[in-house]
Amino acid sequence: MDKNRYIAKALLFVLFAGIFFSCQKEETVSDFGNKCYKRSMGPNVYGNEIEFAYAMAIQPYVGKLTSASVEASIAGEEGTWMEHRSYHAKLDGMDTAIVVGNPSVTEGTLTTVDYIVDTCAATLRYYYKIPKEAKGQDVSFKFSAVGSNGQIVTQSMGPYHIANMDMELDVNLTAQNCYLSIADMKAYNAAQAAEHPERIDLVYFFRNGNLDTAAINHSFVAPACKKYIPQNLTLPAGVENDTKIRDVGIKDAHLARLHLKNPPEAQPGIYIDDIDLQTIDLSNMPNWAFDLIANDGMWVATEDGKYHAYIYINSANRGRAGATISMKRYTMY
Amino acid sequence: MKTILKSSLLLIILPLLMTGCLYSDDYPIDEDGLLITNRSDCYISRLTLLGTDFQTIHLDAQDAVIDNEACTIRVRVKFGADLRNVYPEFTLVTDAKLEPKVTGFTDFSDYKNNPPKYTVISGNRKVRKTYTIYISEKEYQL
Repeated sequence: MDKNRYIAKALLFVLFAGIFFSCQKEETVSDFGNKCYKRSMGPNVYGNEIEFAYAMAIQPYVGKLTSASVEASIAGEEGTWMEHRSYHAKLDGMDTAIVVGNPSVTEGTLTTVDYIVDTCAATLRYYYKIPKEAKGQDVSFKFSAVGSNGQIVTQSMGPYHIANMDMELDVNLTAQNCYLSIADMKAYNAAQAAEHPERIDLVYFFRNGNLDTAAINHSFVAPACKKYIPQNLTLPAGVENDTKIRDVGIKDAHLARLHLKNPPEAQPGIYIDDIDLQTIDLSNMPNWAFDLIANDGMWVATEDGKYHAYIYINSANRGRAGATISMKRYTMY
Repeated sequence: MKTILKSSLLLIILPLLMTGCLYSDDYPIDEDGLLITNRSDCYISRLTLLGTDFQTIHLDAQDAVIDNEACTIRVRVKFGADLRNVYPEFTLVTDAKLEPKVTGFTDFSDYKNNPPKYTVISGNRKVRKTYTIYISEKEYQL
């Protein structure tokens, strides 16, 4: 008899516990909700965008969406905008857009989209073009959506640190435009280099090195490295910087953009950040790099120590001069 | 009850002692914490010189020529290879070790006057062979 009572009590206890915990887990569904996530990865670099996807939904019996807005703590550069189309993935996985509002309006720090269709749920993307004045600072965002009943929902994102480094994409090098300035992040021809020789840090050249495989091909040499400057290449007067170079093969995602190639290639999620450029020690490195090919890269330190940079070879012509490079550069002082 | 406990303890302790003695006597370790074994083989089977990008700097990607009798290694490197920052990657016979240890990039730039030397020590730590690396650089007029 006692045994049965104990079993009954135990069962009752389990039952109550089950009811109690299942009740606790039950979530209350709000009438109006929003959710945001950051889509872009890697360090936030001036000139690049920070991308967000902002989702909002209101119960149909409460009302409909009337507007969505984002307020940034530092005004974005021209080109900051919010999608007025809502995206969803179709069965084949492709993004599909549906126009839900008027094109966004950006005034100062505030970007707004007004809905023009009756909808109770949408996901809008926001692209914040990083301004120069944000370099080295933190930037935050406040996303908000307004319902036709006057209700407002908000979500704060950030703060996100904006890197100090600069970035320059797709600089073309040719047999003529072969004088590379890290200070200017540009390539110059001989006449232009002669105008400001102190700013020339590297000389690019191509030599077909198939002489018993003394592989030279696409090469970068500091002007001070007379030993490896080709005899038929006379440097403009005053071009004599001694730049340190370390040949490596880092496929930085900002610079390489392999996933955007046609056909696309696998892009590793590798990003060079401020700290990498700050701490790289090239004091014992040579002042030349031979036989670079597409997807190679090199760390570079200017003679005066003012700049540390990473140069990535996006493409290099086969068997002749001509290459496209991209670089990230950090100003040390 | 006491007898059972005593014999079980004995059963546990005795094998532990036995195996401990076996290992400590037969496989002593050296100053680097590596096992000293019975092997007396002592040679280098492969050497690759790597650049700062950890790619080979050998001319034409040719293998280094190793003479285990004369204890010499001959390597031809590409024109313009940076010999101040070389990472020598050795493959040794089983259980052998190398002296000096390779801990990072090494300066081989004085190879003409002072060819790099590495000593291989056999698994039993009784045989030592010092190899000299002779480097030749491809000459080319730019």
